[in-house]
Amino acid sequence: MKIRRWKVRLRTLINLLAPFLGLILVLAIFSSMPDVQSRFLRLANLKSVATQSVIVALGALGMTLVIIGGGIDLSAASNIALSSVITAYAINAGLPPLAAVGLGVLTGGAVGFVNGALITRLRLVPFIITMGMMGIARGVAKWIANNQKIDAPLTWVNELMAKSPRPSWLMLAPGVWLMIVFAVAMAVLLRYTVFGRHVFALGSNEAAARLCGVRTNRAKIIVYTVAGLFCGLSGVMEFSRLTVGDPTVAVGLELDIIAAVVIGGGSLSGGEGSILGSMIGVFIMAFLRNGCTMMGWPNYIQEIIIGVIIVAAVSLDQIRHRRPT
Amino acid sequence: MTSATASAPALEMRGITKRFGATSALEEVDLILGKGDVHALLGENGAGKSTLVKILSGALRPDRGEMRLAGRPYHPADPLHGRRSGVSMIYQELNLAPHLTVEENIMLGTEVHSGGFLKRRDVRVKIKETLEFLHHPEIVLDVPVRQLSVGARQIVEISRAILDRARILVMDEPTSSLTREDTERLFQVIRKLKAEGVSIIYISHFLEEVREVADAYTVLRDGKNVGAGRMAEASLEAIIQLMVGRKIADLFPRLDHRLGEVALSLNGLKGVRMSGAVSLELHRGEILGLAGLIGAGRTETLRAVFGLDARQSGQVEIAGVKALRLKPWQMIRLGLGLLSEDRQGEGLALSRSLTDNITLSRFGPYRKYGFLSQKKRSRAALQWMEELKIKAEGSGQAVAGLSGGNQQKTALARLLHQDADVLLLDEPTRGIDVLSKAQIYDWMSRLAARGKGILFVSSYFPELLGVCDRIAVFFRGQVVDVRPAAGWRNESLMAAATTGKA
Amino acid sequence: MIPRIRISFLALLIAGLVLSGCGGKDALPAGGGARTFRIAVIPKGMTHEFWKSIHAGAVQAAGELGVEILWKGPQKEDDRAQQITVVEDVISRGVDGIVLAPLDDRALIRPVQDAGREKIPVIIIDSGLQGRDYISFVATDNYQGGVLAARRMGELLSGKGRIFMVRYLEGSASTAERERGFLETVTKDWPGLRLLVKDQFAGATTESAYQLGENLLGRFPDVEGVFCPNESSTFGMLRALQESRLAGKVKFVGFDSSPKLVQALRDGHLHGLILQNPVKMGYLGVTWMVQYLRGRTIPDRVDTGVTLVTKETMDSPEIKALLSPDLSILDR
Repeated sequence: MKIRRWKVRLRTLINLLAPFLGLILVLAIFSSMPDVQSRFLRLANLKSVATQSVIVALGALGMTLVIIGGGIDLSAASNIALSSVITAYAINAGLPPLAAVGLGVLTGGAVGFVNGALITRLRLVPFIITMGMMGIARGVAKWIANNQKIDAPLTWVNELMAKSPRPSWLMLAPGVWLMIVFAVAMAVLLRYTVFGRHVFALGSNEAAARLCGVRTNRAKIIVYTVAGLFCGLSGVMEFSRLTVGDPTVAVGLELDIIAAVVIGGGSLSGGEGSILGSMIGVFIMAFLRNGCTMMGWPNYIQEIIIGVIIVAAVSLDQIRHRRPT
Repeated sequence: MTSATASAPALEMRGITKRFGATSALEEVDLILGKGDVHALLGENGAGKSTLVKILSGALRPDRGEMRLAGRPYHPADPLHGRRSGVSMIYQELNLAPHLTVEENIMLGTEVHSGGFLKRRDVRVKIKETLEFLHHPEIVLDVPVRQLSVGARQIVEISRAILDRARILVMDEPTSSLTREDTERLFQVIRKLKAEGVSIIYISHFLEEVREVADAYTVLRDGKNVGAGRMAEASLEAIIQLMVGRKIADLFPRLDHRLGEVALSLNGLKGVRMSGAVSLELHRGEILGLAGLIGAGRTETLRAVFGLDARQSGQVEIAGVKALRLKPWQMIRLGLGLLSEDRQGEGLALSRSLTDNITLSRFGPYRKYGFLSQKKRSRAALQWMEELKIKAEGSGQAVAGLSGGNQQKTALARLLHQDADVLLLDEPTRGIDVLSKAQIYDWMSRLAARGKGILFVSSYFPELLGVCDRIAVFFRGQVVDVRPAAGWRNESLMAAATTGKA
Repeated sequence: MIPRIRISFLALLIAGLVLSGCGGKDALPAGGGARTFRIAVIPKGMTHEFWKSIHAGAVQAAGELGVEILWKGPQKEDDRAQQITVVEDVISRGVDGIVLAPLDDRALIRPVQDAGREKIPVIIIDSGLQGRDYISFVATDNYQGGVLAARRMGELLSGKGRIFMVRYLEGSASTAERERGFLETVTKDWPGLRLLVKDQFAGATTESAYQLGENLLGRFPDVEGVFCPNESSTFGMLRALQESRLAGKVKFVGFDSSPKLVQALRDGHLHGLILQNPVKMGYLGVTWMVQYLRGRTIPDRVDTGVTLVTKETMDSPEIKALLSPDLSILDR
C-alpha cells in the first residue's frame, strides 16, 4: 500500500480542522438566532463562557492523558469535590491561602496516585478502580466537610475565577489563563516528549510498549497522578467559584469531562486523542449550555442536543478514520 | 579464548528442559544456530516450538539447560533483556502500537531525547537508511502503522530489530498473511540480513518456503529433538515424516465423487468490497478451488455470496433459488455455510465452549418451547469432536485454549453440524499443522463424495492442485480462468495469479 | 457515498432539534412593539412540584402585569455550580430583573454582585443569601414552619415519645431553618419527645430519602413520630413507612404538598403537613420586581406565610388551593 505524502498531509489537515467544525457550527447557530445574536458573541459573554469552562477544561486535560493511555478516570468529579473541600478546610484552619491551594492540588494528585498504584498493583481495569475511588473520594469529602458545605473566609483564592479580574489588564480570570497555560504545556508534553510518546504507545498496544522497554507501570502511575493533580487544580477553581467547599458539587461531572475528550477525538480504547480536540469539546458543550440558557430553551432540549453531539462527533470521527479500501 | 568466541555459533541452546506442572513441554532440546544462517524450526503445533522460542526471548525461563550467544553465557531475565542482548522477535502484529507512526514505533523505548524532549532529526535519517537497506524506501515515517499492510508492518519490525543491533532474529510464521509478492520481498530482506551476519530462526508451516529460504533445520516433536541437519541434504517427505512421526501415506485423499446439478451459481455478482463482477458455477459433489494472490477478491466474493457484504449487482442462485438480497441467517437456512479466514476474529467465539461454537449455527434440534437442551447439545458436540478428532479437554472447554488446528476443525465442525449443502471455505488450512491439514483435506473429499459443493479459497497452490476438481484463478477482482485441476500446474497457477494471463 | 448520507442525516437531526427548540413553547417571542420587561426566574430545580408552583405564580403575575418570564434552572437539580452558570448566562443575555432562589447562601453572592454591576436588580426568593446585594427577600418564614411542625408533633404524641427528625440536604439553608425551628421548639417546649435521629440527611431525591427511611425504620422499628423538612424527603419517608406497614401507626408530620402527600393525609398516613405558599412566592417575587422596575419602593422582606394542614382542615377552600395549586396556567 502506497500512501502519498500529500495525502497524509491532507488527512492531517482534515483531522485537525474537523473538531473545529462542530464548534463553528454551534457558534453559527446561536449567533444567527435573532433573539440573542447581538449578545452571544459579545466579549463579556465569551469571558463568562471561558470562566465557566475552566473547571471541566482542567479536568479534561488530565482525562485526555488518561484516555490516550488506554484508561479512564471515573473518580475525576469526586476528586474535584474532595479537593475543593480540602482547600476550603485548609483556609478555614488558618493556613495561608497559597498553602491551602497547594494542599488542594496535592490532594487531587494523591487520589490520582492511589488510582494509578491500585491499577498497576492489583492489575484491575481502571474502570473498576476509579469507580471505587469515585465513591471513596466523594465519601471522604462529605466526611471532612461534616456533611455540609464549608464556608471559608474570602481570600485572593476566590479571585482566581472572578470574571472581572484584578488587576484589570489581565482581561480574563486568572483561572482562564491557568487553563490556557496548562493546555499548551500538556500539548507540548504529549507531542514533543518521550513521556508523551510512551503514553500513546501504552494506549495503543500495552504489550508492545512493555516489550520495547517502556516502563508501563511507572507511566500509568504518572498518568493518573498528573490527571489527579489537574482534578486538584480544578477543585481549587471550583472552590474559588463557589466561595465554599461543597462536597456535593460536580456530581456526574466526570461524564461531561469524558464527553469533552471523546467529542475532541479521544478513543476510549486508547492511543488516540489530543489536547486541542478535548479543549474544543469542552467549549462546544460550554457554548451549547450558554446558548440554550440565553435562548431560554428548557434544559431537556440542551441535554438532548449534547447527547446528539456526542454520538454525532464520534460517528464523524469513525467515518474520518475509516481506512480507504 | 577470543578466537573460540569468534568461531562460536551465534546461538547454542543445549539440554533445554521445561515443565509446566506435570507435563513436560521441552526435554533436553538442543538447537545450534550458525552465524549468518537461516535456521528453520519445524514441528507440529504443540511440539514445543513456541516454548523454545519464548525461552530464547526471555519470556520464559528454562528448568534446565544452558544458552550461549556467540559463545558467551546468556540468561535473559525478560524479553527486554533478551532484546538488549541482541535477540529480537518478529511476530505478526503484536509488537507494534497501531496508532503510532512508523517512526514512533521503531523508536519506541529507545527514543533519543534531551531532557525528556524528543530529538528526531538524526533518528529519522537513520530510519530512512534502514528502510532503504531493506528495499522498502516507500514506507512513510509519519503514517500510523495501522494504515500499513501486514508486509510493511513486518518490515517496520525488522527495521526496529536492525536499529537495535539485533544479532538473532526470530520470525514466527512471517509469511502466513503475506502475498506471494511480499513473501518474495521478505526473502530478499532475509538474504540481505544473512549477508550482514544476522542469524535467523524461521518458524513456518509452509514447508516449500522453508526449503527455499532456510540453510538448516531442527525438527521438534512432543518437546524432543527428532532431527536436525542442513536443508540441502533433506527431502521434504523426510521432514514431514519427522514432524508427524509416521508416514502420511497420501496427504491428498481422493474419494470418488460425481458432479451433480448446479448447487450455487454467481452471475455477475459484485459486492461493495469487490472491484469486479464475478460469475461462477459450483456443482454438487464438486470442490472448486479459488486461487489468486491475497487481495485478488476471493475472500470478498465469498463474503458477498454469504451476504456478509452488501451486494451491488448480479445474481446469486442457490440450487436454482434466487438469493440476491439475503442476509447470512437466511443463507444458512438455504444451506450455505462459511468458514472465515479470520478464525480468531470472526470465525469463532473464542471465549465460548466447543459446544457453543459447534452448535451455534443450528439450534433447532435442541430447542423446546424456547429453551435449549444443554445435554443434547454437548452430546452432539462430542460426537463431532470425535468425528473430526478434535483434541480438547471436553466439550465445555473454551475454544481459546485449543491449538490452531483444533480451532480450525471446530470451525469446520460447525459447518458439518449445520449440515450445509454448499460450503464456502476461506483458507481453512492456514497456519495449522500438517496432520490437521490432512484431516481437513480428507473431510473435504468425503463431503464432496456425499454430494456437497465446496468453494475452497487457498493461497497455497499445491493443496488446491491436490484437492480440487476445478480451479478458478482470480486476478484483481476478476476470474481470469477456470479449468479442471488436471489442466493446471503450480507454475501456470502462479503465472495466472500474478499476471492475469492464463 | 455511505458516509455522506450519514453526515447529512446527522446534520438533519441536529438541525431538527435546534429548530424544534426554537419553536418550543418556552421560547420567547422576539421583541417588537412596546418594550416589555423581561424577568428571569431561576429556581433551584425544575422537576419538583414546589418549583412548578413557583413557576405558576410567576407566570400568573407576568400575565397580569404584562411582562415576560424567562424560566431556567440548573441542568442538574440542586447543583450550585450550574446555578451560578445560569445566572451568569442570564446576565450575558440581558434581562431587566432576576428573581432567584439561591441554592447556596454564599456561592451565589458573586453572580448576584455581577448582576448588580450590570444594573440588573435581583430579588431573592425561597432561601436566603448572605450580604445585601439584592433588593428584596420574598420567602416563607422557614423557622416558623419548623415551630409549627414541632407543636403538631407534640400534640399528636401528647408530649411524650421517640421521634426522628430527618434532615434534607447538606448546606440547604431553608430546610436547615425548618430543622432548627423544629429542634429548638422540641427541646424547649416538649422535653418529653426523645430524638432518636436528628443528623441524618435524606439527600436530594425521593429515592435517597426512601432508602434512608428504610434503614432508619429497620433500626428503630419502635419509633412513634417522624418529621421531614421538605417534599421529597416527606414522600420518600412515606413510601418507607408504607412499605414497612407502619404508615398510620407512626405519627408523621411533613413539609410541602404534592398529590400523593394529599392522598396520604386523607388516608391518615400523614398527620400534618406544613405548607408554604410557593405560588404566592413566585407571584410576589415577580410582582415586586415589576413594582421596583416601575420606580416604586418595595419592602426588603416579604413573608409568604406557613400553614399547618391536617386531615380535618384539608377540605376548606383556602387550604385546598394551597394543597393542590392550580398549575393549569403552565400548560397554556
